[in-house]
Amino acid sequence: MISPVFMKTLLGTTIAEELPGLVETLRGNFLLGWLPSLDESGASLVAAIIHVTLVGLFFGLPAFAFIWAERKVAGRIQDRLGPTRVGGRFGWLQSLADGIKLIQKEDLAPNAADRWLFQLAPYLVVVAAFSAFMFVPFSDGWTAMAMDIGLFIALAVLSLEVLGIVLAGYSSGSKWSLFGGMREAAQMVSYEVPLGITAVIPVVVAGSMNLNEIVTLQSGGLQNWILFHDPFCFIAFFVFFTVTLASNKRAPFDLAEAESELVGGFHTEYSGMRWSFFFLAEYAAMFFVSMLAAILFLGGWWTGIPAIDSAVVAVGEGSPAWAYLTRVIGMTILLGKAGLLVFVQIWIRWTLPRLRIDQVMATCLKYLVPISCALFLGVVLWPLVLLMTLGQSTILGEPKGERLPVSDRKVVSVEQPATAPAEPVPATEGGAH
Amino acid sequence: MTDLLLHFLLFIIAGSVLVLAPMLIGKLVRPWLPTPEKQSVYECGEPAIGSSYIQFDIRFYVVALLFIIFDVEVAFFFPWATVYGGATQLADSRLSDVARSNLSDKLLNLAPGTSAASDTVVSAADALYLAKTGVVDIAVFFAFILVGFAYVWKRGDLDWVRSLVSEFQQSQALTRTAVVADQPAKTEMAS
Repeated sequence: MISPVFMKTLLGTTIAEELPGLVETLRGNFLLGWLPSLDESGASLVAAIIHVTLVGLFFGLPAFAFIWAERKVAGRIQDRLGPTRVGGRFGWLQSLADGIKLIQKEDLAPNAADRWLFQLAPYLVVVAAFSAFMFVPFSDGWTAMAMDIGLFIALAVLSLEVLGIVLAGYSSGSKWSLFGGMREAAQMVSYEVPLGITAVIPVVVAGSMNLNEIVTLQSGGLQNWILFHDPFCFIAFFVFFTVTLASNKRAPFDLAEAESELVGGFHTEYSGMRWSFFFLAEYAAMFFVSMLAAILFLGGWWTGIPAIDSAVVAVGEGSPAWAYLTRVIGMTILLGKAGLLVFVQIWIRWTLPRLRIDQVMATCLKYLVPISCALFLGVVLWPLVLLMTLGQSTILGEPKGERLPVSDRKVVSVEQPATAPAEPVPATEGGAH
Repeated sequence: MTDLLLHFLLFIIAGSVLVLAPMLIGKLVRPWLPTPEKQSVYECGEPAIGSSYIQFDIRFYVVALLFIIFDVEVAFFFPWATVYGGATQLADSRLSDVARSNLSDKLLNLAPGTSAASDTVVSAADALYLAKTGVVDIAVFFAFILVGFAYVWKRGDLDWVRSLVSEFQQSQALTRTAVVADQPAKTEMAS
């Protein structure tokens, strides 16, 4: 029997605040007094293990589903059926069959390779893609690490993935791999720039880097979604989506693997299970950036229809069980939006031909960077111009600040320098003026 | 912040186990029959010529420098954007008193409920002034990088096939029958 306190702990953003309750629950009915000396660090360890398990599910299962979806959608777009046999209808267990096959494949490493680095590379890629999910809220409050710098640190962690790719290309000892790895490095260093700038745009609108807060600010209807906040945000979403395609090395920007010119690019020399982890990480990263796009621009777990959203919120205020249910609904909506974006990514891959490497670089440096800079300036000036002409900060709907959640904000104190990165600038900036 | 560290450690361990476990299971069922052909690198079916650990022209040297500057700059945008976003929200005169004191707490980094009790509520006029100052700040900050970006663009450092382009342009200026393909590509780096 799971007690409400423990349930709330599973739901809540602020594990630390629920620690006494969690400890009591664990001592009492959950572990039957097995851990009598469980102190706060022990409790947070248990909480972290629960987080790892839950997030692990959301890392692995969507990746499996999307690998199947990729093959199915590719088949349909090319007027084929795609997988049909494994798991009854639609071949929906194809990914599992692939996995079983790959496990039995010989694990090869060429003699010319730097064996240690060669074998290390998949670990780096998977760990980076997995750790990025730590910061994403799956529904209101359902996040492993709720942080005020959530967006920033999530992007930072995800971009570590490129190290594994470059390492794989470099350590393989093959010229194709080297070219693939170097192309990936070039692509990443250029596409990180518009990615960062377009990720700042929702922060300018929301005034927060806390992903949970950004979604909360988008409640109450379509007009409150950051996508529809102003024309610059609208374009910024498409720029963000394009850039995430490139930073995940998805077609038409998949120059790092480019099977028609570089054999397999960075993974030419990999085989079997070790090879498949690059793809597990790639599909997980696709899912991750789609979730991020849904959270930043598309209203996260809100449907955009005020009647439904307010009904869901009203139901959730009933009891912890109802709150749990509404969060499951919210998660379904968010996963639906993210899944839709992943579908578009797959659709684009099987529709557009691959660009040439110089075209990829020119697209980024000569188009996307100037466009994102202009969009950033536009988003910055938009509310100011509105305020000085109309006296209000938004055209559609009520002011954004009305929907800021009141209670669950932590204060950064001066005595704790370790937490200072969360929000040091507001204090000094606000105080100075 | 130890909670974050703990999470990171556990995620790294879990991610590694996620890779390691199938590899270990696979060790029991997969064959291990190495041959010289299998263990050589793939080079289109031919015996590989030379090593791949060679010096070669990294074209994106300047792009990488540009990335470092840009990314550091963008990293500073994030905290600025949180303050600016809060200021523009506060500058809206339609804001209710509750929301205004709540936003003021957030902007001034005070404990929730402080502004409602004391007189630290930021007025719309003050917030508008802060927003205007913020725009001037970021405009100056951003202008520096944009000037540099324009310079790099003008110099041609953003062209992937830079040396060939300039060669082609020169040869076109000299004679109409220049054969670009016969000349070895100059791999000059920006110094």
